Amino acid sequence: MNRKLARLTIPYVIWMALFVVAPIVMVVIYAFTSAEGGFTLSNFTNMEIYGVVFLRSFRLAFVATVICLLIGYPLSYAMSKEGPRFQRLAMVFIMLPMWMNFLLRTYSWMSILENNGLLNQFFRSAGVISLYNRLSGADIQFFHMIDTQGAVVLGMVYNYLPFMILPIYSVIIKLDHSLIEAARDLGANSYHVFRRVILPLSLPGVLSGITMVFVPSVSTFAISKMLGGGTEMLLGDLIEQQFLGGAYNPQLGAAISLVMMLIVIICMWIMNRFGEGEEQAVML
Amino acid sequence: MNRVFMALVFLFLYAPILVLIVFSFNAGSSNSVWTGFSFGWYRELLHNRLILRSIYTTLLVSLLATVIATAAGTFAAIGFFALRRRQRNLLNTVNNIPMMNADIVTGVAMCLFFVAFFGLWGRFSLWFNGVQSLVTLPTRLTLGFGTLLIAHVAFNIPYVILSVGPRLRQMDRNLVDAAMDLGCTWMQAFWKVILPEIKPGIVSGALTAFTMSVDDFIISYFTAGSSSSTLAMTIYGMTKKRVTPEINAVSTLLFVSVLLLLTVNNLRESWLERRRAMGIERRPLLPERISGPRRAWLRRGLAAAGAACFVATVAFLTGATNAQPTVNVCSWGEYIDEDLITQFEEETGIAVNYQTAESNEALYSLLKSGAGDYDVIVPSDYMISQLIEEGMLEPLDYGNIPNFSLIDDRFKNLSYDPENLYTVPYTWGTVGIIYNRAAVEEPITSWSAMFDERYAGEVLMFRNSRDAIAIALSYLGYSLNTTDPLQLREAYQLLADAKSKGVYQAFVMDEIFQKMEGGNAAIGAYYAGDYLSMAENAAEGVDLAFVVPEEGSNWFMDAMCVLKDAPHKAEAEAWINFIASTEANLANMDFIWYASPNAQALAEYPAYYEELYEEPLPEETYEIMAAPQEVLDRCEAYVSLPPETRALYNALWTELGI
Repeated sequence: MNRKLARLTIPYVIWMALFVVAPIVMVVIYAFTSAEGGFTLSNFTNMEIYGVVFLRSFRLAFVATVICLLIGYPLSYAMSKEGPRFQRLAMVFIMLPMWMNFLLRTYSWMSILENNGLLNQFFRSAGVISLYNRLSGADIQFFHMIDTQGAVVLGMVYNYLPFMILPIYSVIIKLDHSLIEAARDLGANSYHVFRRVILPLSLPGVLSGITMVFVPSVSTFAISKMLGGGTEMLLGDLIEQQFLGGAYNPQLGAAISLVMMLIVIICMWIMNRFGEGEEQAVML
Repeated sequence: MNRVFMALVFLFLYAPILVLIVFSFNAGSSNSVWTGFSFGWYRELLHNRLILRSIYTTLLVSLLATVIATAAGTFAAIGFFALRRRQRNLLNTVNNIPMMNADIVTGVAMCLFFVAFFGLWGRFSLWFNGVQSLVTLPTRLTLGFGTLLIAHVAFNIPYVILSVGPRLRQMDRNLVDAAMDLGCTWMQAFWKVILPEIKPGIVSGALTAFTMSVDDFIISYFTAGSSSSTLAMTIYGMTKKRVTPEINAVSTLLFVSVLLLLTVNNLRESWLERRRAMGIERRPLLPERISGPRRAWLRRGLAAAGAACFVATVAFLTGATNAQPTVNVCSWGEYIDEDLITQFEEETGIAVNYQTAESNEALYSLLKSGAGDYDVIVPSDYMISQLIEEGMLEPLDYGNIPNFSLIDDRFKNLSYDPENLYTVPYTWGTVGIIYNRAAVEEPITSWSAMFDERYAGEVLMFRNSRDAIAIALSYLGYSLNTTDPLQLREAYQLLADAKSKGVYQAFVMDEIFQKMEGGNAAIGAYYAGDYLSMAENAAEGVDLAFVVPEEGSNWFMDAMCVLKDAPHKAEAEAWINFIASTEANLANMDFIWYASPNAQALAEYPAYYEELYEEPLPEETYEIMAAPQEVLDRCEAYVSLPPETRALYNALWTELGI
């Protein structure tokens, strides 16, 4: 292969140095700078008061990722069993919502989950609420759904589910069928075929799906603001608040970003150790 | 069983979209109560310039970013492929950063980088313009479409590389060598051998890039600045106040067009497949009988024409948006009669880019971080004196603002701008409690309701530190401008206790409109003028009332100012003069229900109202709007706080959020 083609890398290396590496260096510099401009570690030493937010973000993102996995894996598996036309159509319908911006979809959930929203109206007219009142002895007019952690998790699952389905599906669909046949010939039943052949082989897809759901979930701020009502602050909210929100302190914001980035990288690294790392993330 | 499961998941994915579509045809403006079929919101959409402009920005940036990223990413992927393994692995790791990194970190990092770069550039260009006079460099760069595009390209390229890379690895390396042995230059080898092999990878990379661009919100939010906002940013801005149902119409149109596009594509593919199965080859773009050099030239001609069209369109579109004189205004949500903007544009030919910020503190962050590049802002009293202290405002040329003389003398030379060099008052009002009579036990008269466990889950508190802490201070009987850390701590504790007891349903700014109007909360603290808007739009069974609590409250003045070194100062002063006129003040009062500082407008408003609606303006409404002196006597204006107190506010506020 001609090495001349390698020259094509040069512009992109410059680009990456400017727009990928330099910005991250800026974050690091800010994180170690005080408001007056000198070097300081104080942005990190006060970090423990935000421990609650870190815990909450990681907990909610974890729950959302598990739910996505529990829905996404069986769905991808079931889809791969269908005919090619069905599969293509199903893929289109999974991608389609992403072409409407995710804020549009999240906004729709707001009106569904409101106290006087569609879901509560439905429950009321279907008699679910009066049934609940009779059974529990409570007297409620509606189920409180919006502005709860549950709503935030729902928003995450809803928005990031395709990111779980796509990589898993694209791995499962490429599985070598002769392996499955071989396993059957060697006497494995369906459960064992799944457990010993399909699951291990689809692990790279699962891992990249987990990353692609977990990372945006842990750092979101729009979802928590729209569906969480601002009472359940997440890391994303905390960071946004320090930059463009109501408590201007970019140095602190940079420090929090840096810590979050490090924790995420460590999590991913540990996880990829288990999955004996397919070097590349699997996409679409 | 499998099918049922799949159907359920798809129902989950599509239910919210279905809701948007159904309610886009709703006659009323509610998103949960059906009042009849209508195309009204589609008609409205055609006149909503804010939404239309943001759709245009979204599509333009996504398309441009996709085209640039696809080209750049393809070349980069080929370059990567030709590298030695060690180098390739290193570059791949760097390449993966934007994909694996949280969007918010990427966005924040880019924002910091751009602002730092602009700072350096400013110094460089001043020096450069000083030493030579041939070329004049612009000294002031700002976040805008350019930075938005760079950010999108930056996060799109890795996806393209990721989908082109595997295709290259599947390709037989010897093919390229063979081609070059047979006399191809490496450029020819690229066009004739590599490109056809990796085409599917390029297509899917471009598709992914486009999808990511359209779906992105967070990175755009930090890099777009104020002059260009994508659809997502517009929606996000709206969800903080009243979401206009035009958004439903936009969603429907988007959904239908994407659906059409995909259906057509799918049909075409299966048609091609069937033909292929029948042994019919795909018809080439150019007739077969044109061949040899002529064909090559024709192809090059076609490609060149396509590229020229693309460049011309982009140049035209960007030119069209830049040609007109503009003024960038940043105000609050629901804070102007939007007809005034149209009227001003028609009268003067100056385009108004009207943006909103959430609160004074958020506006300050926008200005400081470099994300807000405005000419005119409308901050409140205490923020104005802070901005003046920090040298961020430009003195006004009152000769260009003759309507300043119409402002009531009691609103001139106020403490925030003692010599009145920087400001022209916009509106004034009070803060009070808004409550739903149907949802509380007795009339509310005290701030205690904002901390009352009986109303747990029913109370809406301000989402800005100054107003929220002021309520607690007022309840505790302290000055709203206290700098005593102990008093502030005590106020914070009061809020934190109430929060941990679940008193607050949410911390809100303009979201309060929808929540109070729909009866989704019982009590909330907000501004008097906005109460009147809510009362006007309240749903059935929601009986709203307003009170300025007995402990006292805040009275505020919002005033228009021009930012230091604003690029459109003349246009800005024209805008300020227009807004200060009596007619504009009357229209604004009627629309936003805030009291006008224009003496004539304030006095004439009841008559104006009666003429317009053929019924007298209720005395009570007028008194809520323009609080009488005995109420104002109970109230205190905010003053700017010293930096250490502001730092304490920020720290307490961040802690409260936790």
